[in-house]
Amino acid sequence: MGTRSLLILAAVGLIAAADAVRAQSPPAQTAKPATTTLTSPVTGNAVTGKKLYYDHACYSCHGFNGETGARAFVPNWPANLATERSFIAFLRGRANLAPVQPSTSMPNYPVESLSDAHAKDIYAYIRSFKSAPPPVEKIPVMSQILAAAKKPYKP
Amino acid sequence: MSKSKKLAVNRRGFLKGAATAAAGAAAIATHVPGTDAQTQTPAPGTGRPNAPAPAPSPAQLERDAGVVTPPTGGNTRAAVRPGSDLMVQVLRDLGVEYVAANPGSSFEGIQESIINYGNPPNVKPEFITALHEESAVTMAHGYGKATGKPMCALLHGTIGIQHAAMSIYQAYYDKTPALLIAGRDLGFIAAHSANDMAGMVRSYTKWDATPKTIEESLVAIQRAYNEAITPPCAPTMVVIDIDLQKEEAGALKVPAYQPPRISGIDAGQAREIAKGLLDAQNPRIAVGRLRTPDGVRLAVQLAELVGASTSTSATQGPMSFPQRHPLCGPGANTSYDYTLGLEQPGTVGLVGPSLATLLSRDPTNIGFGGIAPGVSRAGAPGGPGGAGRGGRGGGAPAGRTVDLDAEASVPAIIDEVRRQMSPDKQRVIQDRSAKHATANQTARIEALTRALDQRRAGWDSTPISTARVYAELWPLIVDEDWILASPSNFSGGHNSQLWDHNKPYSYLGGQGAAGMGYGAPASVGAALAAKSRKQIVINVQTDGDLNYAPGVLWTAQHHELPMLTVMHNNRAWHQELMFVEYMCGVRGRGTGRGHIGTTLRDPFIDYRMMAAAYGMAGEGPITDPLKLGPALKRGLASVKKGMPYMIDVITQPR
Repeated sequence: MGTRSLLILAAVGLIAAADAVRAQSPPAQTAKPATTTLTSPVTGNAVTGKKLYYDHACYSCHGFNGETGARAFVPNWPANLATERSFIAFLRGRANLAPVQPSTSMPNYPVESLSDAHAKDIYAYIRSFKSAPPPVEKIPVMSQILAAAKKPYKP
Repeated sequence: MSKSKKLAVNRRGFLKGAATAAAGAAAIATHVPGTDAQTQTPAPGTGRPNAPAPAPSPAQLERDAGVVTPPTGGNTRAAVRPGSDLMVQVLRDLGVEYVAANPGSSFEGIQESIINYGNPPNVKPEFITALHEESAVTMAHGYGKATGKPMCALLHGTIGIQHAAMSIYQAYYDKTPALLIAGRDLGFIAAHSANDMAGMVRSYTKWDATPKTIEESLVAIQRAYNEAITPPCAPTMVVIDIDLQKEEAGALKVPAYQPPRISGIDAGQAREIAKGLLDAQNPRIAVGRLRTPDGVRLAVQLAELVGASTSTSATQGPMSFPQRHPLCGPGANTSYDYTLGLEQPGTVGLVGPSLATLLSRDPTNIGFGGIAPGVSRAGAPGGPGGAGRGGRGGGAPAGRTVDLDAEASVPAIIDEVRRQMSPDKQRVIQDRSAKHATANQTARIEALTRALDQRRAGWDSTPISTARVYAELWPLIVDEDWILASPSNFSGGHNSQLWDHNKPYSYLGGQGAAGMGYGAPASVGAALAAKSRKQIVINVQTDGDLNYAPGVLWTAQHHELPMLTVMHNNRAWHQELMFVEYMCGVRGRGTGRGHIGTTLRDPFIDYRMMAAAYGMAGEGPITDPLKLGPALKRGLASVKKGMPYMIDVITQPR
């Protein structure tokens, strides 16, 4: 990774951390994932954002609801999603280098390929994600799995 | 339609056929076949031009309807005892249950013998109809992983071998035994024959032969079987000319089968290892993939004898230590002072003839991927095995490795352990085993609780989460004798944390060489094994993978195999979608077209309809998570009755 990339990532990290502190309630102490609801302003159009989320295949890593997949972020919202500003900085600040091997890392999104307005739309859609999975004990199947594991082993 | 039809009998074939018939007639005092029948009922177009075709006889109609009764009376055949009958007898003697093939004229002699020879005919081996050679060999691959035994696949000439090449390569990479017989017909279509047909796949078969006589063919099949099951296990091939299949064998006897002698450690080594295990305060046995279920049974026996905590690779593939066994887990104390690794030679991390043994057959010295010549990972630090002292946690430092088969070595170690055992040691072992059992069960419940908590995410979401697919399945099969035959690496691998893999065949692991088009045919192969063993097969089928050769669904239906297919339908080659998205990003050209060539949309594929086209019952597409559980119950009910079932589930990508 080049010096430029490192500097950009460092800057993104600073923005994200600062915005995370401001945006989350209760305030996060560090840039660790936040499990609380984000409260920063949302100015984009979530309906447009939904289409963009699909067209750009964001779901491929983050699931259709942000809860599943290789890079789930709901409900453990990372700091770079704290605000529109941190999100856009994160999109722009990805490494612009071809990987030696195929990569499933987050792609780079320069402004030429995704405008600020569209990024805000995607952000608005992402912010509409709600996660309220039932607790394990309220999911009968999971209770059955746990109960089966507690039975004595039979060869 | 058959690949090739002989338009006429050439002179060589006619003369040889006549000679063979005469020899047969002389040998058993009977007559050349067909003459009586042909003179009484002339065939259409033979000698009576323009004559109308006679109406089919009742016997022909019955035959067309599949009601075939093997002849029980006197012989009226050209070759009374054709060579292929003896070849099939060899397969019977070897215990080969199934022969899968897509029909081809170069092995029509063997095919006819499978379906008609013996009493009852077409049983052990049974002819399994494949719609593609790649499917036939991958069936053998799946069967081999489920049982530790070779299944047979027939391949038609050069074209069949090339169709099968990908599957042979995967089985080779997966150290799985398979017996391949390729038919050759030098007098027919030139493009379908070659002087050295096995040469096309020699780089990734362990052994091959092109015998010149019937007798040599019989010996070659036996040798191929033995080579396939002798570690390092791999596919082997025998090329058999059509002439040999059709030739009269006369009084030739089938040679008695001699199983291979697979070398284990000597008495001195066994003594030393037994002493190490018994003298240790906290011995550890790291169990990787063994050869057969018997190896797993022996590993359990040894671990119980010495009270060693064990690690297992059962969540990664077949033939390893039972995951829920009380001794499986980190144990009560993770400072291990003696670690014994048990693993099939040729797999990563331990003993045995290195992969170079296989690669020595590669005349081009190409090597493939991680098994390139000169790259041996056996005994690598941090690997799962190695016999020797020291080590904490799961990764023992590379100790001394033993260049012999683990499974063949364990009986000698067990004998020595019994010999060296004392009442005092037995008491210590009992106490240690009890502590390990308690600690392992606690660790298991803690890990499962964490796993369940993580997998709540997206529980009620649409599309359905892959974790929910595996979670809903587990309570339905926990008390069944099941095989998860499909790789789960592209579906979140949730089975590794939510399910218990307690049988040698619980999970058959990955594709071998990570090649696509594996899941369904491997599951069909596993289901062939399951059918005769009253087991059921689960196939969580990724959509991209199924589309390579979906005709194998017909095979499952035709042969009434107990296979539940649950589509992990994310409507993409999802891994590649992520790769291309990233490439679009680093080039700054936008990810909006990353779906081109990586997704299966416009139109979406209807897998229930696909299954229906092949005659398989099913349902879907299911998008509502609440409908998943009931659908799985219906599917399992069908499978437990011996009929395959398909459930199309629209899922989250991973």
